[in-house]
Amino acid sequence: MRHHLPVFVFLLPFGMAICMPLISLVRPKWCRGLTMLALAAMTGLSVMLYSHVIAQGPIRYALSGWMPPLGIEWIVDGLSGLLLPLLGSLALMGVWYAGPLVTEGKGSIHFHLLTLLLVSGLSGMVMAGDLFNIFVFLEVSALSSYALVGSAGGRALVSAFRYLILGTLGASLYLLGVGYFYAVTGTLNMTDLADRLPDLLASKAVMAGFIFMLIGLGIKMALVPLHGWLPDAYVDAPDSVSPLLAPLVTKVALYAVVRVMYWVVGGEEVGETLPILTLSSWLGAVAALVGAFLALSQQELKRMFAYAGISHVGIIVMGVCLGNPTGFAGGIFYLLTDAVMQAALFYIAGTAFYSLGIRTLADLGRLRGQMPWVIGVLIVIAISMIGIPPSGGFFGKWYIILGALEAGNYIVVGGVVGATLLTLGYFVTIFERIFVDSVSSGPAVLAESPLSMRATMGMLAAASLVLGLMSDPMIRLILDHAFPG
Amino acid sequence: MNASLFDILTIWLQRPNFIAFIILFLWGLYIMIAHHNLIKKLIGMYLVQTSVIFFFITVSAKAGATVPILLNGESVDPALYANPLPHVLMLTAIVVGVATLGVSLALVVAIYRQYGSLDEEVILKQLGE
Repeated sequence: MRHHLPVFVFLLPFGMAICMPLISLVRPKWCRGLTMLALAAMTGLSVMLYSHVIAQGPIRYALSGWMPPLGIEWIVDGLSGLLLPLLGSLALMGVWYAGPLVTEGKGSIHFHLLTLLLVSGLSGMVMAGDLFNIFVFLEVSALSSYALVGSAGGRALVSAFRYLILGTLGASLYLLGVGYFYAVTGTLNMTDLADRLPDLLASKAVMAGFIFMLIGLGIKMALVPLHGWLPDAYVDAPDSVSPLLAPLVTKVALYAVVRVMYWVVGGEEVGETLPILTLSSWLGAVAALVGAFLALSQQELKRMFAYAGISHVGIIVMGVCLGNPTGFAGGIFYLLTDAVMQAALFYIAGTAFYSLGIRTLADLGRLRGQMPWVIGVLIVIAISMIGIPPSGGFFGKWYIILGALEAGNYIVVGGVVGATLLTLGYFVTIFERIFVDSVSSGPAVLAESPLSMRATMGMLAAASLVLGLMSDPMIRLILDHAFPG
Repeated sequence: MNASLFDILTIWLQRPNFIAFIILFLWGLYIMIAHHNLIKKLIGMYLVQTSVIFFFITVSAKAGATVPILLNGESVDPALYANPLPHVLMLTAIVVGVATLGVSLALVVAIYRQYGSLDEEVILKQLGE
């Protein structure tokens, strides 16, 4: 029975998404509860799956009994097993958080259905064992995120349209890269490709295909300079949606890059023909610095956080592209931490607007004395974003820098340190606005935000600290089970 | 390695499919970037998608190929039939493309109802107000 866990992890959200229209017809009030139930069950199953993988090694699931390489294969190993619980729990929190924001009735079913589809698409991408499956699930998750962004109407429609155009271009480029790989090797299965590619790495077709794939996925993960769609899409998306998209969509695309880079092409071999790892780590450094610079100059809270996300994608890319275990573990650990932090940041922005109507930095002074909970969470998350010791953010950056020193890649060291300083810069701006600005807010009345918002924010703030305290066993887990070879 | 320009041209011209692919892909990309009309952008996007499908099919195409079936209880010699896998993959890719087109047309309709125009310039002017 345990052997079938991977497919249940996918089927839970997917099946519930299919049932959602029917449920909304019969019992419209049950939509939210059932969505949360499905996501909670998915999180539970994926935790079980991960512990199983840790204990007994990777699971290779041949769908409907057709053996790979002919059949379709799903792989759950130490890396994909680690991401599945993260997906499930962050989606569950997102739906819980969004309770007060999502209107009951018609809007509610759209939100819940699309969220479930998004999660099932992303979990499929995480588990997929062949390149074409990644494309299909990439598009399933992308289509639901376009619709989720556009569901706000107004400006969001235009942002969603731009996101769609660029996202589809990215997917097409990825598919083109897959076509090159297929034309050269005649297989799409990752294990099979990993067997055949080492002899063919000198081939220009393989290199071109790999670069097409990187560009396509680079658009999806908003790697500077391919980040154009992200700020508008996340800012204009409803407050219930952006904390779902921000931590998950870009991170899973990044995961796909890691998968292709290390499991298909085989990280080190690429270095000899084309220094793709070093080049990508430099690109990551550029992304981290440019994203943080742009964040520094924003006046809108959500837009600042969106650029912060772009900058942190750069930091993760730097980590995983160092090509040594220390940097890789640091990068993956930072990916987990950053997903938590991104979700928390957008929760904060959403709550500030929900309770006090705050959208811009100029209004932030009104938070003081009115929303102590939000300010407390913001301080904890800021500690983690900047990277001050007890937090998860610190340890991620620490291992990335250690890995960079090991590899002698000083551009990465500079990139991480520079991005840290700039992050400090924009959080100082935020806290200056909160604590120093004199805003005539009238009498300081405690503006109570709904319990679901306070609870989810508090849990994520705690999670970012727990990740820091647990960093040593986590890094060990990643090194032992998630590092290829 | 020191092939003359003539050799390169010959090699290119012997592969008209790939030239057609490149033209379709770049044409679609150009339409996506250059045109202000949202529907035209979608046409460009669809052209890009179709060109990639064309690329896959062209890789597996074979002149005078037959179908991969059992004939009188014996399988056809693999050298005689066209590789069916890319065709099947592209069937899925076409479905994905149609779904994308559906979502994008829904967005375009909503945009038109909101702003009364399909011209990007006009919409941006209204957004910038």
